[in-house]
Amino acid sequence: MVAYLIRRIFNAVLTLLVVTLVTFGIFFMVPKLTGSDPALLYIGKTADKVALDGIREKMGLADPIMVQYGKFLKGLVAGRDYANGPDVTHCPAPCLGYSFKTEQEVTPLLMDDLPVTFSLALGAAILWLIGGVATGVISALRKGSLLDRVVMTGALAGVSLPIYFTGLLASAVFVYWLGWLPQGQYVPFLESPADWFVQLLLPWITLAFLFAATYARLTRANMLETLGEDYIRTARAKGLPERTVIGKHALRSGLTPIVTIFGLDLGSLLGGAILTEAVFNLRGLGYQALQAIKGNDLPVILGVTLIAATFIVVANLVVDLVYGLIDPRVRLG
Amino acid sequence: MSRKTRAFAAAGVALALGLTSAACSGNKSDDKGGTTSGGKSAYNAAITDVVNPSTTKGGTLNLWTAQDADFWDPARGYYAFVWNLNRLYTRKLVDYAASPGKSGLELAPDLASAMPEISADKLTYTFKLKTGTKFDDGAAITSKDIKYGIERIFAQDVVPGGPVYLIDILDQGQGYKGPYKDTDANKLGLKSVETPDDQTIIFHLKKAQSDFLYLLAMPGAGPVPQKRDTGAQYNSAPAASGPYMFKAGSIQPGKGVVWVRNPNWDPATDTIRKALPDQINLTVTTNAEDMDSRLMAGTADIDVGQTGVQATARTKILQDPALKANADTPATGFIRYAALATSVAPFDNIECRKAVFYAADPTSLQTARGGPIAGGDIGTSMLPPNIAGSDAKYDPFNRLQGKPQIEEAKKALAACGKPNGFDTTIAVRNNKPAEVKSAEALQAALKQANINAKIEQYDGAQLSSVIGAPDNVKAKGYGIQIAGWGADYPTGSGYLQPLVDSRFILKNGNYNLPLIKDPSIDGLFDQAAGETDATKAAALYEQINHKVMEGAYYLPFVFDKALNYRNPRLTNAYIHDAFGQIDFQALGVSDGK
Amino acid sequence: MYHAPVTVDSRCAVAGRGPAKQMSLGPEASVTDDKSAPTADAADVRGPAEKVIAGRSLKQIAWRRLKKDKVAIGGGVVVILLVLVAILAPVLVALLGHPPDEYHQDQIDATFGTPKGSFGGISSDFILGVEPTSGRDVFSRIVYGAQTSLTVAFLSALVSTILGVIFGLSAGFLGGWVDAVISRVMDFLLAFPQLLFSIALVSVVPYEMLGLNARWSRVLVLVCVIGFFGWPYIGRIVRGQTLSLREREFVEAARSMGARSPRILVRELLPNLAAPILVYTTLIIPTNILTEAALSFLGVGIPPPNPSWGGMLSDAVATYSISPMYMIIPGATIFITVLAFNLFGDGLRDALDPKAR
Repeated sequence: MVAYLIRRIFNAVLTLLVVTLVTFGIFFMVPKLTGSDPALLYIGKTADKVALDGIREKMGLADPIMVQYGKFLKGLVAGRDYANGPDVTHCPAPCLGYSFKTEQEVTPLLMDDLPVTFSLALGAAILWLIGGVATGVISALRKGSLLDRVVMTGALAGVSLPIYFTGLLASAVFVYWLGWLPQGQYVPFLESPADWFVQLLLPWITLAFLFAATYARLTRANMLETLGEDYIRTARAKGLPERTVIGKHALRSGLTPIVTIFGLDLGSLLGGAILTEAVFNLRGLGYQALQAIKGNDLPVILGVTLIAATFIVVANLVVDLVYGLIDPRVRLG
Repeated sequence: MSRKTRAFAAAGVALALGLTSAACSGNKSDDKGGTTSGGKSAYNAAITDVVNPSTTKGGTLNLWTAQDADFWDPARGYYAFVWNLNRLYTRKLVDYAASPGKSGLELAPDLASAMPEISADKLTYTFKLKTGTKFDDGAAITSKDIKYGIERIFAQDVVPGGPVYLIDILDQGQGYKGPYKDTDANKLGLKSVETPDDQTIIFHLKKAQSDFLYLLAMPGAGPVPQKRDTGAQYNSAPAASGPYMFKAGSIQPGKGVVWVRNPNWDPATDTIRKALPDQINLTVTTNAEDMDSRLMAGTADIDVGQTGVQATARTKILQDPALKANADTPATGFIRYAALATSVAPFDNIECRKAVFYAADPTSLQTARGGPIAGGDIGTSMLPPNIAGSDAKYDPFNRLQGKPQIEEAKKALAACGKPNGFDTTIAVRNNKPAEVKSAEALQAALKQANINAKIEQYDGAQLSSVIGAPDNVKAKGYGIQIAGWGADYPTGSGYLQPLVDSRFILKNGNYNLPLIKDPSIDGLFDQAAGETDATKAAALYEQINHKVMEGAYYLPFVFDKALNYRNPRLTNAYIHDAFGQIDFQALGVSDGK
Repeated sequence: MYHAPVTVDSRCAVAGRGPAKQMSLGPEASVTDDKSAPTADAADVRGPAEKVIAGRSLKQIAWRRLKKDKVAIGGGVVVILLVLVAILAPVLVALLGHPPDEYHQDQIDATFGTPKGSFGGISSDFILGVEPTSGRDVFSRIVYGAQTSLTVAFLSALVSTILGVIFGLSAGFLGGWVDAVISRVMDFLLAFPQLLFSIALVSVVPYEMLGLNARWSRVLVLVCVIGFFGWPYIGRIVRGQTLSLREREFVEAARSMGARSPRILVRELLPNLAAPILVYTTLIIPTNILTEAALSFLGVGIPPPNPSWGGMLSDAVATYSISPMYMIIPGATIFITVLAFNLFGDGLRDALDPKAR
């Protein structure tokens, strides 16, 4: 078990290294392909040659790519200094560099965005998990009933709706037409829990709806499969009460795959829900990423990519471990 | 494509710097719905009058913006609203007077005790400083702090971002690299500026420059105490010389800023600032729609971006007289235009340029910019209506009638030797929705005259190396370039010179997009630089404007406007013509909260 | 940056290497399949010999089942209609609309930039209304948008399938280090924030290339990017299927008779993989439609003035609070299209794999 864990963690770190290397490589090449100058991005308006040279010197943009990558890794682990003569800027570990656009340190910039993305993802996750699984189970138990058909039709419609449409539609109805909910504007939980809740309600519901649709379909399929298994039939034949059969046996194995997917979905959402954040103007990691990409802000892109990949990789790891614990058929090792 | 490139909020509407407004005439009367008497709030009242005059102190002013500041370091900021907000914490030798209308364009002594003594040859400016002016830490403000602040602008390698006019004027061949590389013991090695004592500062110019004082009114010419200068980090804690200082640690990029009273500011030394609120909060939001609803609900006081409300709020405000009474549509001082590159065939031929002028549909371009109220008036020439020398009736291409002139366009095409039209490319920034829409509207209109334009979007952040690089423009064949411009200081030179003077053509960061090389235009600017009589200077600028229009280099879309809302509780609200925005330093709150 | 709910198949996972590694594909809230991965068709499981006994080919069986599924057939009909609309776009526009880039300022209220008529300016002249600000014909833009949208979706599905089959087959059939490398790459791609990367890649490619105009060069780029990020999805399934087929008697038999690997691959394995490949190719088409629309929505898709559904939604953001129709029409179009493909794809899978129902 321990050996397995070590191997998995080693693999995860390796994957992350490759992600950063590939990202770094691609975005290092981008300025070459588009004929632009990263130094110019730092400066923006005045294209003064002195200013450009100063920035190149300070940010080490003139170094070969592997040297730059090495410095990036060093910054990540040990922090690094940006120096241009007497002008030295220290960037503590984990240092992701400086934004081309705002000249802010990327790490705190992204840390500021994390609570937004976390609030969005976790809130929506709770909603869709409860909603999706509950409807899926009920549908499975009443297979073929009117309710089942209605739910499944709704779920199929749900998985066919893009959030950039449902989000706008929901805003049009609940914000502009009925006026029940405010325009989204993130309020930190500690500042005002009530405002935090109200402001996030619409994004939560919209995001959760899409996932719930998928989870309902998935849960139903898994439940049906489980209910058809021999041991359930045996349990029923033994005369166990239906409640025990469903609650204790069917649910447990029927929902095991859900755990897996849930972990992965959550992991990738935590890395930034680009579309949801774009639709609702929530300044989370995804929003930040989009802005950064549009402005070729390499350090920020690199930072977000790294964080997003980390969440996905960690989610994978956790899911595999949890899977091993709850599914007796899987043995880790 | 103004220099304040990044100043445009997501809205993509206008941003101003440079003058504006009704007081200087030129504002069309049809959008002035309200009357302005008695300082009461009314639609467009703040353009000409002070709305809710008051001297009541106290309360907290809640400023909002959808676009974060570029830099709080006075030497580095370039957004119009940041220059405007600098008035809260940065004093300069001279600053714009605190009043609405034309009188706001006049400079008043600020740290200087009086306007400078100017030598007969107009080359030496001598300022005497007020006594009793202090930084927020209690240190007295001396002439050396002002010189040091100006020297920092030269350190473009460390603190880039702001305007560099003063480098061009004050370096005079010295090759000064800024205080960080200064070998002088006191880091005051710039030779053209003298500080014989703490109360005197003398500027020596190489040639007469009638706009010089405007350059000294920019935030970068404000004082910086050398011992508190931390280079690039100064941006996170600039010293304050004005009535407000940054609350310690309150500068949070992307979130906001808090200003509190500067206990060392003495109102007796300051004739410009009112300093009414006890505290000023600036909140940065990502949601402009939300900001609009807060403004209308009264929980936000003003949008400091001043680039206009979004479509939702625009509709609400214009349809509800009660809301409309708290709104203004000042001219922002920007012109939105297409530049026709003379380096790209067939625009080397003036007739082909004229064909574009006539084929363009003035109304669809205006609608693309936001319509007559929120977008602006149809552009007719290249001097905004409020800069001295402009003439609202001057409409050489007959654009005010609002329709494309296909017959004229076809005649011009024939004269150009392209009776069957031609192909060209429209270059447009990808991060300005209104500019992309303008490009589409122009493309559709040109098609009617058989001019087939394809649209090429480029990364807006790369402006200075894409359309700002003449070699690139030529290589890529960007015949038509969509851009916009607002003046850095409110004179004809301030507006037009970077756009049309051949000596301003740069290999990178060029703003003379058509590559106009007309010695007679250059000569007129030189004449104006030596002209101290404003009326005569205005006549020169009028001539330049005519020459530019006759050359058909720039096709003006609109004289930009922005529909902005102000919270009714605001006192002393008026549009400052130097910024085309509310004068933030004058604002107070009536309810004391 | 995926966060599509994923395909999971516990059986595959157990049979394959280690615990379940999931598929991830497409932008957030896009669709992927959610039921169990298609084990090969029941008929396959029984082996080829039994087919002969049954006297019907898999195709015939599937077709009979599919015909009975009215919902799936409905989806299929809509899909065919949409394809026709895309192909006949110029004709439809000539008959029912106005050129897609023609401005109609007379339809627009200058002050607000919104259509003068109610419901987004819907009238007999403009059957789906006009675009705010410009007055362009929404119907024409939807129809031309269908062209781009479907082209991108079909071609990128093709790219994913080709890559997925090649790599999946190689991994499953050759095993050893080839399998290890390919599986690693697939894992890696799935750990990649994909939407983020698609945006980044698309946004830096030149607007025009290979002599194509802006519209079609961008279509090409989208096909490559979406197709590329989609292949592990197919690749995994093909690999899993290949792994299980490899050990089966008929393959063994072929091998013992001296058949060489390429022949086994092409003659024995591929035909048996056809069913799952077909199903999954059908099911990634709607995902691709959503991804293309998402990229256009985020401003890196088809460049203006060329119409695209996602681009229309993106434009609608500025005005939907006062003129919602311009948001509803492209949104509903995307919804109907994706739903039709999903219904058809679901039906197809059920027809080929009765166990999934």
